[in-house]
Amino acid sequence: MVIPTEDGGFNFDLCKRNAFLGQQGVKGPSVLKTGTTIAGVIYKDGIVLGADTRSTNGDTVADKNCEKIHYIAPNIWCCGAGTAADTEAVTGMVSSAMELHRLATNRSSRVITAMTMLKQHLFKYQGHVSAALVLGGYDHSGPHLHSVYPHGSTDTLPFVTMGSGSLAAMAVFESGYKENMELEDAKILVARAIEAGIFNDLGSGSNVDLCIINKDGKDYLRNWKCPNERTYRHAGFTFPPGTTPLIKKNMNTAYCTSLPGLSALVEVSDGPEPESMELA
Amino acid sequence: MKLDLSALLPDSIRPKAPIDAALDDVHLPGPTGANFPLPDVADVDSFERQVVEMVKPSHGTTTLSFIFQGGVIVAVDSRASMGPYISSQTVKKVIEINPYLLGTMAGGAADCQFWQRNLGIQCRLHELNNKERISVAGASKLLANTLFSYRGMGLSMGTMVAGWDHKGPSLYYVDSEAQRIKGERFSVGSGSVFAMGILDQGYRWDLSDEEARELGRRAIYHATFRDAMSGGTVSVYHVTKDGWVKVSGDDVGELHYHYYPAE
Amino acid sequence: MSIMSYNGSAIIAMVGKDCVAICSDLRFGVQHQTLATDFKKIFKINDECYVGLSGLGSDMQTLRQRFVFRHNLYKLREDRNMKPSTFANMVSAVLYEKRFGPYFCEPVIAGLEPDGTPYITGMDLLGAMAPASDFVVAGDNTESLFGACESFWRPDMNPEELFETISQCLLSGVNRDCLAGWGGVVTVITKDGQFTRSLKGRMD
Repeated sequence: MVIPTEDGGFNFDLCKRNAFLGQQGVKGPSVLKTGTTIAGVIYKDGIVLGADTRSTNGDTVADKNCEKIHYIAPNIWCCGAGTAADTEAVTGMVSSAMELHRLATNRSSRVITAMTMLKQHLFKYQGHVSAALVLGGYDHSGPHLHSVYPHGSTDTLPFVTMGSGSLAAMAVFESGYKENMELEDAKILVARAIEAGIFNDLGSGSNVDLCIINKDGKDYLRNWKCPNERTYRHAGFTFPPGTTPLIKKNMNTAYCTSLPGLSALVEVSDGPEPESMELA
Repeated sequence: MKLDLSALLPDSIRPKAPIDAALDDVHLPGPTGANFPLPDVADVDSFERQVVEMVKPSHGTTTLSFIFQGGVIVAVDSRASMGPYISSQTVKKVIEINPYLLGTMAGGAADCQFWQRNLGIQCRLHELNNKERISVAGASKLLANTLFSYRGMGLSMGTMVAGWDHKGPSLYYVDSEAQRIKGERFSVGSGSVFAMGILDQGYRWDLSDEEARELGRRAIYHATFRDAMSGGTVSVYHVTKDGWVKVSGDDVGELHYHYYPAE
Repeated sequence: MSIMSYNGSAIIAMVGKDCVAICSDLRFGVQHQTLATDFKKIFKINDECYVGLSGLGSDMQTLRQRFVFRHNLYKLREDRNMKPSTFANMVSAVLYEKRFGPYFCEPVIAGLEPDGTPYITGMDLLGAMAPASDFVVAGDNTESLFGACESFWRPDMNPEELFETISQCLLSGVNRDCLAGWGGVVTVITKDGQFTRSLKGRMD
């Protein structure tokens, strides 16, 4: 039996049907976006990456504290903006390819490898995989910072921003960036850039995540700043048991057609002791 | 500026205003509502089409009315929706034009309310001029004439004018295309197909009063169940020779479990 | 008209103290016409993992079958159940495979991890996961559901409190939605087992 799900790659089976539905006047659904502010700088000893934590679906905030700094390798991390599924998937694919590459070569990963894999994938799909990335890492040749655009072009710069809040963040970088910054100064600068996006761009919001990468490894500072702490007006409502009227009739709801575990179906025995090989 | 609060005073001490002077200030609408201003644009037709696109009137409704030996039954739901969103569950869709005449509301709520109030004014003027109540045929024709004069300009109404006049119970369907039909039973709105199914199945001319009221109630209930855009409460009105009475107003949330008790 | 509200749906998952709950409405309609009022949108994968599917009814059923199929293969290979987080990653992969011709379905996954910690996650139709520590909603009227959940949810509810809260959120949410409702069904998952109850909702 061929299990089609094992093939990997994209599957275009439903495209014709969905295009037909589109012709019938059916509106396409909306997808999760990370209308985002992401940024990165090179400082004296390495890289500081930053991201906000808002994810949106249309004009609703779908997730108030999502993670936008994705793992690529222990020494390489990647901020993602654009369609959430694409940033998630593309960084996931590259990170597993990088891990296999490390195991095969027994060398630590290089940032340029990750960047090349990302841009080749994105270029192949001509911008339809909408991921805008800020890739940062520290490898044997020092710190590297790149931005990768959805169509596959890349920039290599000492400070970069991406996402809908990139203009606000870039304004902060342009006025505040200095060469060979100390770590604390770089952290504050990146956080200010992200905050500029959080406060001035509707697509960005909530908290500041930072990720510092240098020769000693990484320091992932989740929610390094929380400038939008939620306040609760009251403790909330309580509904005493029995509030909700029920239909008593026993409904066998969610049905389950999954198999029992294999051990319930078969008996596993060790079999006869294998004969040991004789060595002359 | 001193506020004129004289209207709040009891009749006995209220200063009498010269009636003629007061009447000069009142613009009574003509019989066809002729002073309803049209938008000052070059092409009224396409402008109105754009306006209708912008403020889509709520079409989700079920209304029904039928005549039988005991008078007229008018039954309606009470939901107002904006697209899939329920904006109200307590809308009054029966418009009480006068003690012997009822109108129902389907289509644009504002259009229905405004023009049926206008119809009420016209009916009252008819009474003052002719010293007798207007017939249902006459009242529905006044409304149809009004709507004809605004035909194709974007009004959206599907209404039933029901009442009791010198000839007995009477029922007309009038809509914004200026169509006017006399009939013995009608149902209007998105849930009308469901209501009509129940109504046709249970209708007889010699229904008793109680049977007729229950038929109207059931028909609307079933429409609220099947039609997503209808719901809220079921209101039933009965028009007899003594004028209309509101018979019942039942929350569908409870009515369903009254008809089909859950164990 | 959006394809995601063609059939109508409302789903919520909520976290309590050492327990999670997931619920759905029961309507199946074709636009304005209600065809069935016993259409469950939450499916049991195993004792510790449930999935709720909102969106287009046909894709909902196809996906349920594919998820059960994948879960069965996993069990044959591993001789154990998928934990909710593993299941969520599988769902995400199944959806993202169809990135350029997606299923019109937004899944919600709720369950307990092997160590007993609650796990819930929402997803868009492309498989972008949005795990949450409080609640997730899906359906054609998420604004109303979000509103109810934001005001009713509080941390550390016990299973009975969680049941009442999620039920009230579902009922208040769907009572502002033409296309969902007609009763509801709630499942609460605890480490000692699960219970499922049918809600008495408005039938209009």
